[in-house]
Amino acid sequence: MTDDILTLDSVSYRYPDGTQALDNCSIRIRRGARIAVLGTNGAGKTTMFLHLNGILRPSTGQASLNGVRLDYSRSGLKSLRSQVGLVFQNPDSQLFSASVREDVSFGPMNMGLTESEVRRRVEEALLAVGMTENAERPVHNLSYGQKKRVCIAGVLAMQPEVVVLDEPMAGLDATMQEELTAILDLLHKSGMTIIIATHDLDFAYGWADEAIVLQSGRLLASGNATEILTQENVCKVLGAKPLVAEINRQLSLIGIDLRDIDYMPRTKRELLQAISAQTRQEN
Amino acid sequence: MLTEQSAYSNRWRQVSPVAKGFFSLCGMVAAFTSSSPRAALLVSLTMTAAAVLGAGIPTVRYLRIATTPLLFLLASGLSLLVSLDFGNPVTGVSLHMAQSEIPRVLQVSCRSLACLTALLFLALSTPLSDIIALLRRCKVPATLLDMMTLCYRTLFVLSEAVHETMTAQSARLGYVSLPIALRSLGGLVSNLIVQVWQRSMALHTAAEARGNDGALRFLENRYAGSPQHITIAVASGVAMIALTVLLP
Repeated sequence: MTDDILTLDSVSYRYPDGTQALDNCSIRIRRGARIAVLGTNGAGKTTMFLHLNGILRPSTGQASLNGVRLDYSRSGLKSLRSQVGLVFQNPDSQLFSASVREDVSFGPMNMGLTESEVRRRVEEALLAVGMTENAERPVHNLSYGQKKRVCIAGVLAMQPEVVVLDEPMAGLDATMQEELTAILDLLHKSGMTIIIATHDLDFAYGWADEAIVLQSGRLLASGNATEILTQENVCKVLGAKPLVAEINRQLSLIGIDLRDIDYMPRTKRELLQAISAQTRQEN
Repeated sequence: MLTEQSAYSNRWRQVSPVAKGFFSLCGMVAAFTSSSPRAALLVSLTMTAAAVLGAGIPTVRYLRIATTPLLFLLASGLSLLVSLDFGNPVTGVSLHMAQSEIPRVLQVSCRSLACLTALLFLALSTPLSDIIALLRRCKVPATLLDMMTLCYRTLFVLSEAVHETMTAQSARLGYVSLPIALRSLGGLVSNLIVQVWQRSMALHTAAEARGNDGALRFLENRYAGSPQHITIAVASGVAMIALTVLLP
């Protein structure tokens, strides 16, 4: 087994209407990593995701899972899609059955599992996203945040090795975002590889191990998230810098070096802790 | 939406759909076996009582939901009574009512009423997902049921899209006068067609991403105590049919 679970090698994709959505993209997804994919609207994030799940086939180049070139036959796709789960941005385009439990059962039923196994997985997935109490409710009576959770449960019930989420935080309130982050942490700890498309630079900086930045279908940069997301050219394209990194830099300019403590703060919480630790030391 | 609310929040929500479905079916059979309007009316009363007193649907809500189909029933009953006559020597055309038809029309209308209440009982006490699962067990073709599932879900997605678009149009004075309203309505319809197309593509992609290859398969709900419920439904349903046959 190779270290990379998913790879794209010089993948280009042109939509039937002529739009060149991906242009010679090569990326590696390390097993068990948390990966943030960034890029302006229309940079090709969603198109890339559709390649990972075999919905789209590269016009040129190739995609591989565990070092083996993707097999686009019926059975090949079935096995690929049970290993790589895709959560779409708009929950209304993913949910199509009448009740929550039914919808979550859709994926595992497609995998052809036994009824008792499906039942077990559905309950597990509902529990993981905290929707057990709403299992009987019709989908259209749920709030946006709840629909989002059902979408995630629908993918979790298939027990994939990789979960790909397209802008999962969009439209969620702060509490819901925190809860979703907790769910993602749980999945990460269980060994899942998680890929997220996001516009939230601060979230990406604090959460991801690795970052992939796309610009008009081309790969602009990829690698260690803290390094990539503070690069001058990347910040210029994304139109912002991670706030925590900026504060670190400004503080060091006025002589407060938070690196005295043995780590570099990446999230707001870590930054606040570091500052208060620093002030305690000085007093 | 009212029907939907009742189906999910009535007293008999947890009763097996098999029992409710069978009882409703018995109601429809009884409507046809009843030989007199009186017997058919009795069936209607029983089914209404089952919905209002049994499943606990509020009377006002029941009446509100029943009003529309009742109006249709009334209209068709009246049109059965009245017929056009082209042989009138003075005006050429005349309306006339056939006295002799009254008993037959009464019989048909009462039977329709019985069928209507039987169907309403099922619709108000059982969510559509359960009804579809029930039909699946009855070996109704899967394609038909998949279409029902998708239509049902799309109905809500669409009504939301309509509502959102209309609100956005109103916010920009889209419905201030009749000509403008007509134009806005046109815009709404053309916009909806595009939206429906895009949404259906998105749904298809999402289904594919979860390993779908055609037929929609879901897990069925389980119901506690179904054997007793089914026994009660069968017994009361058959008794109702027997009664309509025996009643003069």
